[in-house]
Amino acid sequence: MKATKSNRTAMRRWRGVTTLTASVLALAVAAGPIVNSFRTDIDKFLGTSSTKLVHDGDENISEVYTYTSDYESTTELVKAIEDLGERMNEEGSVLLKNNGALPLTADETQKVSLLGFSSYYPVMGGDMGSSLTPNVGTDADTIDFVQALSAKGFKINGKIQDLYKTLEPQFTTEIDNWGNKSIFTRITAPSIGSTFSSKEPSQAIMDETDAGWKDSLKEDNVIIVTLARAAGENRTYLPGTDGVDASQNLNQTDPLGLSDDERDLVAAAVENKKANGGKVIVLLNNASAMEIDELKNNDDIDAMLQIGLPGGYGFYGVADILSGEANPSGHLTDTYAVVNANAPSAQNFGDFPYTNGNPAYSINSVQVEAENIYIGYKYYETRYMDCVLGEGNASAAVGSTDGNAWSYNNEVSYPFGYGLSYTTFEQKLDSLDVDLENKTVTAKVTVKNTGDVAGKDVVQLYVSTPYTSYDKEHGIEKAGVQLLDYAKTDVLEAGASETVTIEADMQYMASWDSSSDNAAGTKGCYILDAGTYYFSLGNGAHEAANNVLSAQGKSTADGMTGAGDAAMTATWNLESLDNESFALTKNGTAVENQLEDMDLNYWMPGTVTYMTRSDWAGTFPKTYENLTATDEMLAVLDNDNYEISADNGDTSAITFGADNGLTLAHLKGVDDIDNPDYAKLLDQITLEECLIRTGFGGTSTKAIDSIHSPEAVQNDGPNGIYSYPLGQYANTDASTGDPCAIDANDKNAGYMAGVMSNETVIAQTFNKDLAKEFGQVMGNYSLWANLPIYWGCGTNLHRSPYNARNHEYYSEDAILTAYQGANFVEGGMEYGCLIAPKHLAFNDSEINRTGISVFMTEQQARENELRGTQAVIEDAGALAVMTAYNRVGVYTDNSHTGLLINILRGEWGFKGLMSEDFIMDANYVCLKEAILNGVTMSCNTGDNTMDAITEKYGYWTVENVGKDARLLTALKQAMTYQAYALANSNAMDGYTPTTHLVTVNTWYDNLILGLQIAFALLTLLGVVMYMRSAKKN
Amino acid sequence: MKRKTSAGLFMTAISIIAAVVGFIYYMMNCNTAYFANLGVNPVVIGCIVAAIVLQVVLIIVGMKGQPMWIDILPIAISVFLMLGTINFVSARVNGFAAILTFENNAENMADLSSAIIGIAACLIATVVSIVASFFDVTKEAA
Repeated sequence: MKATKSNRTAMRRWRGVTTLTASVLALAVAAGPIVNSFRTDIDKFLGTSSTKLVHDGDENISEVYTYTSDYESTTELVKAIEDLGERMNEEGSVLLKNNGALPLTADETQKVSLLGFSSYYPVMGGDMGSSLTPNVGTDADTIDFVQALSAKGFKINGKIQDLYKTLEPQFTTEIDNWGNKSIFTRITAPSIGSTFSSKEPSQAIMDETDAGWKDSLKEDNVIIVTLARAAGENRTYLPGTDGVDASQNLNQTDPLGLSDDERDLVAAAVENKKANGGKVIVLLNNASAMEIDELKNNDDIDAMLQIGLPGGYGFYGVADILSGEANPSGHLTDTYAVVNANAPSAQNFGDFPYTNGNPAYSINSVQVEAENIYIGYKYYETRYMDCVLGEGNASAAVGSTDGNAWSYNNEVSYPFGYGLSYTTFEQKLDSLDVDLENKTVTAKVTVKNTGDVAGKDVVQLYVSTPYTSYDKEHGIEKAGVQLLDYAKTDVLEAGASETVTIEADMQYMASWDSSSDNAAGTKGCYILDAGTYYFSLGNGAHEAANNVLSAQGKSTADGMTGAGDAAMTATWNLESLDNESFALTKNGTAVENQLEDMDLNYWMPGTVTYMTRSDWAGTFPKTYENLTATDEMLAVLDNDNYEISADNGDTSAITFGADNGLTLAHLKGVDDIDNPDYAKLLDQITLEECLIRTGFGGTSTKAIDSIHSPEAVQNDGPNGIYSYPLGQYANTDASTGDPCAIDANDKNAGYMAGVMSNETVIAQTFNKDLAKEFGQVMGNYSLWANLPIYWGCGTNLHRSPYNARNHEYYSEDAILTAYQGANFVEGGMEYGCLIAPKHLAFNDSEINRTGISVFMTEQQARENELRGTQAVIEDAGALAVMTAYNRVGVYTDNSHTGLLINILRGEWGFKGLMSEDFIMDANYVCLKEAILNGVTMSCNTGDNTMDAITEKYGYWTVENVGKDARLLTALKQAMTYQAYALANSNAMDGYTPTTHLVTVNTWYDNLILGLQIAFALLTLLGVVMYMRSAKKN
Repeated sequence: MKRKTSAGLFMTAISIIAAVVGFIYYMMNCNTAYFANLGVNPVVIGCIVAAIVLQVVLIIVGMKGQPMWIDILPIAISVFLMLGTINFVSARVNGFAAILTFENNAENMADLSSAIIGIAACLIATVVSIVASFFDVTKEAA
């Protein structure tokens, strides 16, 4: 049949229309399952919900909503966050030097000139991770430095402000943040593989922009210069000139050191002071320790204040310190070295690829932490003490800044724990009792304010443990001093006193001895050496070290930097080596070696020389690079380390899908995981649910129908719950009786809580109560926002200042990290918020973080990084943990049995849910190995079907897994841990045993359905019209 | 009757080229280090290959005449290309999110590039095939 021309045109037209509508129909039909695959993420993005709670019975509302908020409204809530943010920087800013210039007089606050572009464009949060969430139009809008000063009544030199405003385009950087390109107008941290570029305008540019800017300083001669270094997840600094943009030619020898433009700016301020009087105050706006010795030694700089990354409200606190409204009481959480690149840890910080890496298995690079336990002050103070004691060839030139004999004063600008106040304090060690039976050290310290103004003081209790011939023989290292515990006083009025009692946990005095016999009948145990233990107070680790040396009879004649005060010390003697007192952990588990394979020498004998204080010169770390993984290592590095098999036990006794009539709500608040109802409940779960929920656990812990477990949305941190606005998941239905229901038009519905000062500032407060208060206010926030899981407690250590992610972690010290973290988690748990420590463990670098092999000794692992998390689990009872991207030696972190099963769940007794970090690569997820090692979920998302899960993980099928009794047991155990954590969280608020979830269609479901129907009809119409056109022929 | 080429021919040819490019980049992408573990999605392969084969048939048959049954082909081609494209996108979107945020490095970005090129090519092939469906491959000479 042949069509006429006009009819053929009509046929073509209707054919085209049919093609178009059929294609859109195909799109709409295909969109259905795809939307299901990403339903959680879509719901989060759109603020929709695909499920709804239905109550079948008459519930008592007080039983339905277990946890109650301290606040009556969102206004009270956000105001509380704002208030805490201000106080955090009041107590967490560290006064490093002050010749009396601070605080400013009322008159001086009216003639302030702010120099440095970071005064106007400060770093308030991370570039990525713990980024500031600006809030506008809420009851607690976030503010920057200028806004804070204005709010507090300061008057700022407008001419200088205008100058920097003119130059604003020079301060911008494009950042790829969570998949979105963002323009940051401030200094940023280098992305991986990049170098630091200074953005401080030169004097020439400033003169060109406004030739009269210096004249304006004559009147407004109280000059505050802000110098900043940014921080960010997936960002890194590199040591020395390798980390600096050489093309700038600014005489900058390190990214954390100063550039000539910054030096010239400070010099201009000093020049003005000499000519016109006034003051020069430097603010350090940073999280990684900067190289600032030249500022310290410049007597024309009157004062220097380290303010960290102040978040959305911290600048109120900074302003209060400047004006004297608040008295600084912060202390450094990191050693400020003269040259960071000279630290032992810096020798192996960078990108050191395997020669035989394989991206298919994320086998990329190596990080050998050959510095042993000596990171931060444990290096500087120990080497210093050995210099004084004449031990270990400590004075050798290796590692020294000037190439001459190593000397403390040439290496450290400000020590760990150091900080000044506007007043003075006197501390007296009244008593110190060591109770080995109860494993406590109790110190009573009287603190007296001997100055003129009120203020708080910090009591820092250090211990110096004996370094014996046994230690040298068995490769055990000892820090010269180590922080054992700390406490902060209340506000002490001038002349007032307070007696502070510290009850320290003695287990943290013990050292790991890999060669010791133990209670398990194997090797590896915590020991206390025979000898004299010195306990010391001090304003920082260095003062404590000097006090100990003084007590040991040393003086400045021996090379001490100060006299020290033996009266600030106490001693305790142990007659013989003790490997029994700490052979069992608090829950009665026998300790033994668990991380031997984390030592590279385990795989490649004789390769690494770990640093020892018995020979500083001979063992100072070399750089371990160009390493070739052996066949034995590669066999593990391919991540396939468990074979699913029917030979792994009898599956017949493992029950799935039983009908026991329980729901998770029956176990609400049941804090005994051995309660038989947990087993009964979990017998109801199906294998399919176990497989899907462990494989797709990302962004929220999804609902499980068989046990009526609700969805629990996860959030990132640590600077506050900032993944979603307050109103996104908030209950807007007051008829439910939810005391935290909000109005749909609540002014604070768009509020996001990524506003707190960064973790380093929180640690610098040395105030456990403030850390707890942050946990409490976030717990309250989680109640209002219905956001129960919070990956918010960064407990990795600051192994090196070059890790640009240090802003998400507390300190270089494990004890300070652990106790600030434990109090934070504890505070959140009071309100049912599951705050998780992360990233367990050894996430010490962002370079090649997915796959990097981290090697170290077991002593180092246990006494540094792991000790930073231990109290968060053992003491605070955290019910959530996030694992790390990196490898533990050659095993992926999420599949290391020694770390996750034997230490975390065994020794520490962790019972909660555990997620992997954001690992997308199915091979590196190591799902089967991870589940066997106590991980309860990967962070991937996907459709709630077996097809989807099997597409992602080919081996994760009912048939395959169902034959392996070991895996089945681990799966049920994982889901038990998860159910237990949720049962003891505010995720259960709104649930009773009669509550169940029903699926509801969202507007986008209806839209897709509508599109399917509409385009099906249109396609049909197109076909009909085509046929009609054809028929006319 | 002598026939001369029409806009449909050129557009179908462009669509074929784009579809072939999309197919090649998909296969390349499936073998990159980052995406290799996801395997090859048979729906993507099947749809794109089917569309290309049908487009070739459309041209060959259309060059000789315009029988009515051939009008089903443009519809089928566009539907196949649409399904192939959307499944390609679906299989990569998680990876995009991860690479652009947590796993951002040069190697992964290179792997991401081939996926983006492949998806773009498939999308172009789809759109051009829809437009082409409004035209015949050939028309009778005047």
